[in-house]
Amino acid sequence: MLPQSHIDELRSAVGADGLITGESQLQTYECDGLTNFRVLPGAVVLPRSAAQVQAVVRVCARHKIPFVSRGAGTGLSGGALPAAGGVVISLARMNRILEVDIANRYVVVEPGVINAHVTARVAPQGYFYAPDPSSQSVCTIGGNVAENSGGAHCLKYGFTVTHTLGLEVVLPNGEIVQLGSPTLDAPGYDLTGVFVGSEGTLGVATKVILRIVKRPEVVQTLLAAFDSPHAAGQTVSDIIAAGMLPSALEIMDALAIEAAEAAVHANYPVCGGLLLVELDGPSSEVEALMSEARAICSKNGAQQVRVAQSDQERALVWKGRKAAFAAMGRISPNYIVQDGVIPRTALPSVLSEIDRMASAAGLRVANVFHAGDGNLHPLVLYDRAIAGQEELALDLSYRILHLCVDNGGSITGEHGVGKEKQEALGYMFSEPDLATMQLVRCAFDPENIANPDKVFPRTRLCAAEIPGPYTPHPLETAGIAEIF
Amino acid sequence: MTSTTAITAQECAAQLANIAGEAHTEVAGETVSVAPLDAAQISQILRFADANAISVTPFGSGTKAGWGNPVAPGIRLSLNRRNSLREHPWQDMTCTVEAGCTWASMQAELAQHGQMVALDPLWPERATVGGIVATNDSGALRLKYGGLRDLIIGMTIVLPDGTIAKTGGKVVKNVAGYDLHKLMTGSFGTLGVITEVNFRLHPAETDARTWTATAPDALQFAEPLRILLDSQMTPSSIQLRAGKLQSALDVRIATRPEAFDEQAARLRKILGQIELSDSVNEVWQARQRLFDHEDRVILKASMLSSDICSVSSELQHLAAKQEFEFDLTAQATGLMTVSLNIPADAVPRLLDQLRSRLRTSGGSVIALRIPESIRAGLDVWGCDSNALALMREIKRRFDPNRTLNPGRFVGNI
Repeated sequence: MLPQSHIDELRSAVGADGLITGESQLQTYECDGLTNFRVLPGAVVLPRSAAQVQAVVRVCARHKIPFVSRGAGTGLSGGALPAAGGVVISLARMNRILEVDIANRYVVVEPGVINAHVTARVAPQGYFYAPDPSSQSVCTIGGNVAENSGGAHCLKYGFTVTHTLGLEVVLPNGEIVQLGSPTLDAPGYDLTGVFVGSEGTLGVATKVILRIVKRPEVVQTLLAAFDSPHAAGQTVSDIIAAGMLPSALEIMDALAIEAAEAAVHANYPVCGGLLLVELDGPSSEVEALMSEARAICSKNGAQQVRVAQSDQERALVWKGRKAAFAAMGRISPNYIVQDGVIPRTALPSVLSEIDRMASAAGLRVANVFHAGDGNLHPLVLYDRAIAGQEELALDLSYRILHLCVDNGGSITGEHGVGKEKQEALGYMFSEPDLATMQLVRCAFDPENIANPDKVFPRTRLCAAEIPGPYTPHPLETAGIAEIF
Repeated sequence: MTSTTAITAQECAAQLANIAGEAHTEVAGETVSVAPLDAAQISQILRFADANAISVTPFGSGTKAGWGNPVAPGIRLSLNRRNSLREHPWQDMTCTVEAGCTWASMQAELAQHGQMVALDPLWPERATVGGIVATNDSGALRLKYGGLRDLIIGMTIVLPDGTIAKTGGKVVKNVAGYDLHKLMTGSFGTLGVITEVNFRLHPAETDARTWTATAPDALQFAEPLRILLDSQMTPSSIQLRAGKLQSALDVRIATRPEAFDEQAARLRKILGQIELSDSVNEVWQARQRLFDHEDRVILKASMLSSDICSVSSELQHLAAKQEFEFDLTAQATGLMTVSLNIPADAVPRLLDQLRSRLRTSGGSVIALRIPESIRAGLDVWGCDSNALALMREIKRRFDPNRTLNPGRFVGNI
């Protein structure tokens, strides 16, 4: 609980209508999209301006109160989970689009602006904001910046960091700094690049300069039905090897197709592995590439290959894909969403190994993945009502992450580390790597009050933390991997 | 050796020879050059230097050694024995390359599988991966493929205390931990020594064509450029070239062979009255050629893309009025390189003029090459960021004894 005097200071920072302290209202903020972690905050503030954010952070800095910033709360790794008795800074009211510069292809927005609203604002001029996490109709730009969100189309267009030109940030000591600018290569360290994806541990973004992209002339989406995800995976490799860079390459397995069909009737073909290939660009180029992509699908034994014939059909195809996580509720009482990355070529062997691990654990795993960039989203299905099954499912999901690291990949491609994967980060990086990251954290937040006890495997204190000489990673000692 | 150092160059060289071998250690005046074999030796050298207050300058081939503020002589840490492409899993379209590898030799190996790191830096035949990354160099391809921050997916670095750390990884999509490689990119060797870099790769542009349009005043290209950038065409590169009396606009498009005619027709329509002709690849060497005259001042200016034609035109008018010569290239990304033939005492005033012209829209001007006679008292970086204190704190955390390139970077970091 926060002392009354601190509550009073917060009230004077944001006004009475910007402060929540009642327990039932606080419960709204006790978790994000990862609902199995819940912590009640001491207070929630809803600032309307950078100055109010600054005033709140100054109160927190003065009394060393931990704070966690929050957008729409759709994160899937517990990044917006409150610190016990700490302050949640909800940016929901800072939702204005401040500037639109079409000639220079950027917009300036407040952090509470919803991802899809950026595109909606610039669509009349023929532009869009490229990063498209599945939650884009509700998630906010501030949250996207914290997580460096991706989406299906980042294969071609890149991630949030690719599209973030600059930021205004309230540092954990309450200072406001401008990082980057609408122009490139401002003299100095690329702190914008470091801040994006830092999961709220380096400060609070109060303004974001985003790049917008001209809508391509033509977009075509191809659906190809295969016997197995393996055949679909081979097709992905062949498409890439042919020198194409589609805007999206997605695979869904039979379980995922079944769930998506049940949820949104996307009219997917019934098959063991569905591949979606989206190509965009000038019409003459897309036509040539599409016929090449069709040929590659047929060569790899696709039973059915069709191109979505209208914008409505294409929208439905994507609706099914983006609803795939939530749709799991149709075929399983409970499920865990995972997010690992592997080199694309490891796809067949990793999928086989996941099958084997799932069978051994007596669980089902559905697979939905951004195949073009090797980003897997295994969905571990279980029933909480069956004693011990949740623990089994959690254990399996973490072992899948280890499998990704063992194959030269990563424990997260877009959901972030947050609360969920702190220990897994310690599997991926060795102590010197983590200690070096901590140097950045300590430069921004020496008091460790910005989203503390997240991302890193254990709480680290800035003063005592000195990176030591190199010690080999366990994988290196075991001869599995070289340092990279 | 610097005045704060008790150790002589000879004593320093003897210590370094123990680490890297005599054959790879050399004394030249006050500077000791050493070429370590691997990250472990780099770690030892840095620990030795850090403990003895000797400054260290990481060194590739020295093509950009004059950029930034000068650094007092100390150890020149050469990466030239770390010069190979370590891994190229071409089906994954990634690679791991050692920092001392020249850009061209890396690209030649990647080209064997029809791939490339999609960046066209200066002096690719000589410049090394580490130096290009440390200075965040980029060329005209940045329009389509982004800069180094978009192409680097991981890195191995050695800190002044000897810590060997890796960041990122070998997969393109990865949000685990902080992206230290973004911090290292463009940090001018002030935070750590880059020993290896992991890149994402793109298919090489096997089918690409360039067109060039010419006009006297750069301002004549402002409207066509605006329309082109607002169109659904997807050029790899767009470059404005300008001198005192003439200007040119180069456009490079890579696409399927069957699509070229239609793309050229569109381009012609956009340029309207201005004649467009088929051009040659050599025009993309223009930025590098600006550096050829060694007596010329070189500036790197960053501005909004909508400003490149007007700023170029203003320079043309100023040059006509004040009777000086200049040449520039400006990418459609808003990055401009200017080569000026002006008297040394005219440089500060012109630099100020350009900076105040660009600052209102967030732009900046860095003086890459200036006459030694005016170096003292001139701020080559022109960094007016209110995050400078934070940058200094990052430097202090990474390099508390100011061992790496002390004073070279913004704000004398």
